[in-house]
Amino acid sequence: MRSVLLAVAVLGLAACSSSGDEATPVSVNSADNTCEVTPTTVKAGSVVFSVQNTGSATTEFYLYGAGDQILGEVEDIGPGVARDLVVDVPAGTYTTACKTGDDDEGIRAPFTAQ
Amino acid sequence: MIGNYLIGLREGLEAALIVSILIAYLVKTDRRDMVSRIWVGVAVAVGLSIGIGALLTFGTRGLTFTAQEAIGGFMSIVAVGLVTWMIFWMAANARHLKGELHAKVDRAADAGMWGIVLVAFLAVAREGIETALFIWAAARSAGQGASPLIGALLGIATAVLLGYLIYRGALRLDLAKFFKWTGFALIIVAAGVLAYGIHDLQEAGILPGLNNLAFDVSDTIEPGTWYAALLKGTLNFSPAMTVLEVSAWLLYVGIVMTLFVRKVRAPRVSASKSAEKVSA
Repeated sequence: MRSVLLAVAVLGLAACSSSGDEATPVSVNSADNTCEVTPTTVKAGSVVFSVQNTGSATTEFYLYGAGDQILGEVEDIGPGVARDLVVDVPAGTYTTACKTGDDDEGIRAPFTAQ
Repeated sequence: MIGNYLIGLREGLEAALIVSILIAYLVKTDRRDMVSRIWVGVAVAVGLSIGIGALLTFGTRGLTFTAQEAIGGFMSIVAVGLVTWMIFWMAANARHLKGELHAKVDRAADAGMWGIVLVAFLAVAREGIETALFIWAAARSAGQGASPLIGALLGIATAVLLGYLIYRGALRLDLAKFFKWTGFALIIVAAGVLAYGIHDLQEAGILPGLNNLAFDVSDTIEPGTWYAALLKGTLNFSPAMTVLEVSAWLLYVGIVMTLFVRKVRAPRVSASKSAEKVSA
């Protein structure tokens, strides 16, 4: 049991340090038919997406790279709940998507890191 | 409220299922003295999850997506290994119980008992951190009214209640049936956890093939419905699964189920053979 705990702790510490202290905040408002991301252009590096679900169904938020490669994803954002997604975003162009209810494709918009 | 309730239910179900089978096993094999240790394992896992969840939610440093998926995937695969070991350990003990002296069972059991405590711990801790992150997020959103948090907690409470009902049902089975059915159930659950762990590792980019889907039935089984939550909570069934996930699931069930059926059947085969001899 001790070795498992240790492994989890070590992984956790390693993961925390990679997220850094100066993460750029981006707010995401996921409603039933809209997905507002502000700002849509950030400095490359650690980014914290604070996703607020103001809709009536459970939502998910995705950050896609080229070819729908998932850079980050946060699931299970129930109605009225806000969750954070921390991602290391290299410079480039991306796509953000809010997937509310049974929407597979999601409400998509371009996103840039410089 | 329903959305948050279903998330809580889904996250709690699998752990509730495994822990209730473990406790039913101990009660059925006259090892009630071990039950309290199981609860210690569960309590440590819950406490640790809530603590880590709070640290990540309110601390200055969040967990990156990749790290979160890597930890989830790693813990899932360790849990599968342990549950698999436990299935065969329980089956082996079942054979001892039939034929040999109780003292021998108890001696063999003591070493394995700590393994069982570890299984209980991991079953809860695996989903625990994820659940705690969700609960803390719901708690932090309390400005929106308390309903997200209440919904999530009610969902977990329902999972615990279902676990209790499974425990009561399992106690009614006779010992042979109990080992057979809990074994089957645990193998299917473990295969689901394996597939889930592989999905996490694919999301973390450690394993390839995330976009290579084997099937996608999300139009039929809509995510967010109660039956999708039940399927996910017990079998780890997702409406869309990758080829790698499905292959791992099939391989695991194919191999482990065959070995398990052989192990469970073995004493019966010899019994029927000796019966043939007698009649001949």
